[in-house]
Amino acid sequence: MKSFEYTITDPVGIHARPAGVLVKEIKKYASTVTVNKGEKSVNALKLMALMGMGIKQGDTIRVDVEGADEENAAAEIEAFFKANL
Amino acid sequence: MALDYRKCAEEIAKYIGGGSNVISAAHCATRLRLVIADNSKIDKKALEDVEGVKGMFESNGQLQLIIGTGTVNKVYDEFLAVTGVSAATKADVKAAAASKMPWWKKILKTPGDIFVPILPAIVASGLMMGIVEAIPKFAPAFGNTGWFAFLDLVANTAFALLPVLVAISAARVFGGNVFLAAVIGLMMVHPALLNAWNAGSVQQVAVFFGKPLPLDAVQNAINGLSPELASQIPAGYLAMFDTSNGVSASVINSLPSDVANGIWGTLNSSLTVADIGGISKFMLFGSYGISQVGYQGHVIPVILAIFCMSKIEKFLHKVVPEMIDLFVTPLVTVVVTALLTFTIIGPVFSLLENYVLIGAKWLASTPYTSWIMGAIYPWTVFLGLHHMYNVIEAGMIAQTGLNTWMPIASAANFAQFGACLAVAVKVKNAKTKAVALPASLSASLGITEPAIFGVNYRFMKPFLCGMAGGAVGALFGALFKLGAPVYGVTGIPAIPAVNNIPLYLVELLISAGVAFVLTLFIWKEEKPEEKAKEPEPEKAPELPTVSVIRCAAGTVMQPVKGNVIAREAIPDDTFASGVLGDGVGIEPEDELVVAPFDGTISSVAESRHAIGIEANGMEMLIHVGVDTVNMQGDGFECLVKEGDEVKLGQPLIRFSREKIKAAGYSDTVAVLLTNSDDLEGVECGAK
Repeated sequence: MKSFEYTITDPVGIHARPAGVLVKEIKKYASTVTVNKGEKSVNALKLMALMGMGIKQGDTIRVDVEGADEENAAAEIEAFFKANL
Repeated sequence: MALDYRKCAEEIAKYIGGGSNVISAAHCATRLRLVIADNSKIDKKALEDVEGVKGMFESNGQLQLIIGTGTVNKVYDEFLAVTGVSAATKADVKAAAASKMPWWKKILKTPGDIFVPILPAIVASGLMMGIVEAIPKFAPAFGNTGWFAFLDLVANTAFALLPVLVAISAARVFGGNVFLAAVIGLMMVHPALLNAWNAGSVQQVAVFFGKPLPLDAVQNAINGLSPELASQIPAGYLAMFDTSNGVSASVINSLPSDVANGIWGTLNSSLTVADIGGISKFMLFGSYGISQVGYQGHVIPVILAIFCMSKIEKFLHKVVPEMIDLFVTPLVTVVVTALLTFTIIGPVFSLLENYVLIGAKWLASTPYTSWIMGAIYPWTVFLGLHHMYNVIEAGMIAQTGLNTWMPIASAANFAQFGACLAVAVKVKNAKTKAVALPASLSASLGITEPAIFGVNYRFMKPFLCGMAGGAVGALFGALFKLGAPVYGVTGIPAIPAVNNIPLYLVELLISAGVAFVLTLFIWKEEKPEEKAKEPEPEKAPELPTVSVIRCAAGTVMQPVKGNVIAREAIPDDTFASGVLGDGVGIEPEDELVVAPFDGTISSVAESRHAIGIEANGMEMLIHVGVDTVNMQGDGFECLVKEGDEVKLGQPLIRFSREKIKAAGYSDTVAVLLTNSDDLEGVECGAK
């Protein structure tokens, strides 16, 4: 499993639109992606659950990537976070 | 031991089947009143045993839990917090309605809001004052009785001390401390200040401040007395005059009252207040002083003063450390408000008064302009400026012996009577009717404040119709040169005094008639706000009948009333592209989002503008407006919380289209199945 931490810079946090593009990005990979904030964790493919976490600007989250393509996926997803969130 | 409100509320919530089983929650002085969706979920036995619940019964479809005075409100607050049920009190609904108004409308509305609570006092007093003061016009002997003096005192109390009532009511509207407001109100009518009603009278000013009167003016007045009165002046009286400093008022008042009145009568018309040195001042800043005049009968300066007071008080509560807050805040609030009131608000108003007086005099001078005065007269009543008109009337009588101002004022007042009477006749709301009838009666007797503030101004159109009636009546009165040799009366009480009674009656009839008929046709009773704005959809949810998305897992009904558009037409690329799933857009006509199917709330955006619902594998996002996340919840009210079970048609989010528009966003509601890729047979569009 690969993990990375990221602090959200998008002013609206992971809300509908950012969450939508994130889900779309994650669907490209075979790995299971989990977003963790504090004690809560959700499958990043579940858009509603992701939005339900109420992740805001300044929150630090941990992203776990687990699966066949985790090496590549983790790097790509981290780059995606930096570029979009 | 004090009751644990939180625990009590939590237990109540538990035994009534959770927050989702509550349709609405309110409380009275002692009871928590709940409307429950499914009564079978209530565990009555357990409820009765909850600590803090003293009793329980069901009545009128409400589950009423007796909790007790002083405690019920606290349990209620906790109950709302625990269950997430929103407090839909009448006050909230009204406040929400008010917050949508443009600022100028709010300002226009404020005097009405302040006057409504004090209406019983001023309607009663106005009517009584009108009657009591009218009787001596028809039966002069009554004016000298103890009964008259006593009843007059009772009747004019509310008016003479009106600033106190206005101040208290205004403090409730603006959120200031009512006792501090009462102090400001009382200060404005303090007995150490000259009564504002007397500010134009040479006699009153001279007596109140002990101002000496010019010797020659007094001698002229004495010379002008009738021989009979002059003979009552004791020998050697003139020798009492201090020729260097003028004549003191008390010297004149030491004469028999008939004689003194005769002298004052002449002095009042031959001198002005300025001639005797004006009204005394408190010298505050070098040569700048404030006039020692009260604000009897005034309204607007009081409202302004209390508005400032409330702001000052709230500001101080915030910045003053709690330890000294109790004595510092009230002290500073009162002193600063008093200074502001007497140095800025007051003087600005007296300046305004002077201009109004000059303008009014000019307008009343010819028939061609008197109708304008007839039209704007009620505004001067509204501003509390009409108390100075005695000066104009007295001046007219002194110059020509005929008070031609009275017909103008009568027309204006009687027109307000007509408009108010029309409201009384037409209105269905029993409460308004009950106010409008006595208010109109009082207006017919010349006391128009109850009619103006309590009825006509509040609804505005009757007020404007009254202005029209006043204009027509005033023009008529001026053309036929109506007038009276007396002043200080209008309407019915003026009848015995006018120079042409039949024509005067015609004038009254025209004024009131025009206003009455116009009001009857133009004014329409607004639906009572509470009933119109409190649709209580929670009680009888109107089930949506149109489906917007269908798939193998279920059907999504239309969650908001309005025009259904294709997903691609949603004015936002992300929604339109389908990144967030397939679905539709709705251009809302309503401001309520309801559940599109039976399901569970999976997420509620912190900014309350978006909500997720799940059922049978369908994940639905309802997103109100585009980019509305930036509004940070302003204009949105979420009626459910995460984890709640909801039924089709149950209200979820209430939103303000106006606020979304004001924020510059589209109010299109996106209704999307976020996992549409995983669902089979998804078909979108209204059906």
